[in-house]
Amino acid sequence: MSIATGAIRGLQEVARDPGSWWRRSKGSVELWANLIVLGWALVFMLWRGGGFAITVGSVFAIWAVLAVSLNLVVGYTGLLSVGHIGFFGIGAYAMAVLTSSASYEQLRTEAIPTFGWPFFAALPISVVLAGLVALVVGVAFNRFRDDIYVLVSFGFAVIAFTTFLSWRNLTRGAFGIHQVARPAIGPLVFDGELEFLALLLVFLGLVVLISWLIVTSSFGRVLTAIREDEEAIEVFGYRTTHYKLAIWVISAMMAGLAGALLASWSTFIDPNSFVLLESVLLVSIVILGGLASIWGSLLGALAFVMLEEGMRFVPFLPSEFIGQIRQMILGILLVLLMLFRPQGLVGRFKL
Amino acid sequence: MGFSFIKRLVAFSLLAVLVVVAAGCGEEEKGPFRIGVMESVTGAGETYGTVAVQAKQLAVDEINAAGGINGRMLELVVEDSKCNAQDAITAYNKLTDVDEVKIILGTSCSGAMLGAAPLAEKEGVVMFSGLATNPDIAEAGDYIFRTSLSDATVGVDTGNVLWADGIRNLATINESTDYAEGVRRTTTAQFEKLGGQIVAAESYPSDTTDYRTQLTKILNATPDALHIAAQAEASGGTIIKQVRELGYDGPIYADVVPIGTTALEIAGEAATGVKAITPDLDPANAKAQEVLAAFREEYDYVTLPWFLGSAYDNVYIAAECLKKTGDDQDADGFRDCLYDITWSGTIGVDYSFDEKGEVVGLSNAVLEVLPVAERTEENGGYRVLGAAPSN
Repeated sequence: MSIATGAIRGLQEVARDPGSWWRRSKGSVELWANLIVLGWALVFMLWRGGGFAITVGSVFAIWAVLAVSLNLVVGYTGLLSVGHIGFFGIGAYAMAVLTSSASYEQLRTEAIPTFGWPFFAALPISVVLAGLVALVVGVAFNRFRDDIYVLVSFGFAVIAFTTFLSWRNLTRGAFGIHQVARPAIGPLVFDGELEFLALLLVFLGLVVLISWLIVTSSFGRVLTAIREDEEAIEVFGYRTTHYKLAIWVISAMMAGLAGALLASWSTFIDPNSFVLLESVLLVSIVILGGLASIWGSLLGALAFVMLEEGMRFVPFLPSEFIGQIRQMILGILLVLLMLFRPQGLVGRFKL
Repeated sequence: MGFSFIKRLVAFSLLAVLVVVAAGCGEEEKGPFRIGVMESVTGAGETYGTVAVQAKQLAVDEINAAGGINGRMLELVVEDSKCNAQDAITAYNKLTDVDEVKIILGTSCSGAMLGAAPLAEKEGVVMFSGLATNPDIAEAGDYIFRTSLSDATVGVDTGNVLWADGIRNLATINESTDYAEGVRRTTTAQFEKLGGQIVAAESYPSDTTDYRTQLTKILNATPDALHIAAQAEASGGTIIKQVRELGYDGPIYADVVPIGTTALEIAGEAATGVKAITPDLDPANAKAQEVLAAFREEYDYVTLPWFLGSAYDNVYIAAECLKKTGDDQDADGFRDCLYDITWSGTIGVDYSFDEKGEVVGLSNAVLEVLPVAERTEENGGYRVLGAAPSN
């Protein structure tokens, strides 16, 4: 209600004095960040239209689900976790193992059992499995705080990666899993890239909605209070460990969902997609977009994907160094952003 | 000086760019042949990807300097697949949607290859790799080819070499990684198929530094020979050193890792006479020496010579097929051309592709480590005994 009233008042003011909008928004980094990222995305879509834009959109949707889910833990609750990629991987591997229908017996490498389940049967399992692992891990993690929390979550990411690599009669190790199923509802198969993007956006919408309901509820306010001062909120009789565990599990389930979607999108996965570096990138997306802001995570994921894919079109690079130079530019841009905008593009809270 | 100078400089360079672009447009009525190159130039496979891109660029420059293909130039569009499946998919879509290429040379990481291969297979785009060695790629589809030898062939050839050398009782030790375990498994299978017997099999985790317990167990079984499959050079070198210290003086066979530069430094004289079975360039092949010299001339270094040669050959094979089809959008024609072609180049003579797109007619070489005094940077510390026997 208040947003609507505010918007109407703002519009009235702009109608009376058109210059006022410019004067007020000139200094607003937030507005400009929004305009630039969205504008660049729009231009990119129009410029590079068609198939590639759909691919980039799909990559964005998967990163966005991950970023929003991680923001619940890092931004709202103040637990800096770099282990999120582990839950992402668990979701992906659950989906891959359950739905893969490749005939591995033909190959001269590792054979694993194939279940050949449909996508929608495996999806809940992927989500619940990520949640269960998070529950077990979270009970232990609740004993830690701050810097130590970063370290133990780091440990979790390493353990998860090693498990994917070494549990060979389930994951085929470095050989990877082929032919992960695409979703199908009766005769409607999401085989085309555009249909899959639509499905991804539906799931992204769902995750955003759930996250929004959480952070605007009284539950969400307790989380924010834990971030600000855990002892203080404990004094009021809140069992903070329960709250922390709950949001940790919810967030992990969303990451598991993202992983399941990724496995189905790419139809092939191997442990290289779940290395620690990806986790660090994810944390930087969340910080880049803005902590404790769902919109910030969406914007951060968009900015990151656009930056990375946009780099493919930087002209005049010698072909041998194209990849390395792109990575360097990306790194420099991230450092500059953190230097001049440590709260992220649209965030309100600094680590 | 100051700002106006910079402005003028910017204006001038923009103008120069425009002139170059305009000249480029007007010059040819028929544009160049455009093919995609997808390599992992960042990430885990960085060394392999970079060498591959450089070797391919070298080949393209040579072809263009010699007048191109039927008078048309050859142009590479390079993309980075970052050694992982998801980035390979975005790189693939960029190449096929934005650059509209139908023929992609690459990629160097098996995971990246397997990520993009289902799409290429579905959309009828040829993917042709010179470096990916994962055995699964054989089953990836009709449009997927490679000149690199599957890891499985290393094991098969090792088994043959062992048997041909008169080994009947073999002991094995391997690092617990996929590659090393795969080599051990295929070696053992081939050796046993020929009638050999495995008298001891030990394995060790990647961070081990002392192998005497496993080695003592192995020596108690009195094998004719020891086979080492390692992933890290340090472990391979240390095993060679320690097994000789324990008094073993029989033959040692290995995959390529235990005869790497670092491994040989650790093992020292103990490594002399160790045989390794791996793809390597034939020293008698004049073409191979020529390519290595040209590469050194252009980039001031040489590494991974076999993979370098393989990537280089890919471009010439592609050029030959483009000459035949005359259309870089004709992926089906290109694919049929690959099935028919017999090629002699850097990595071998008269090689071709089977119905799975796997290369046939190439074999692994048998290498023998030289005494310390004869090891140089050029020879890598070993000499090539010849091709591994097939059966």
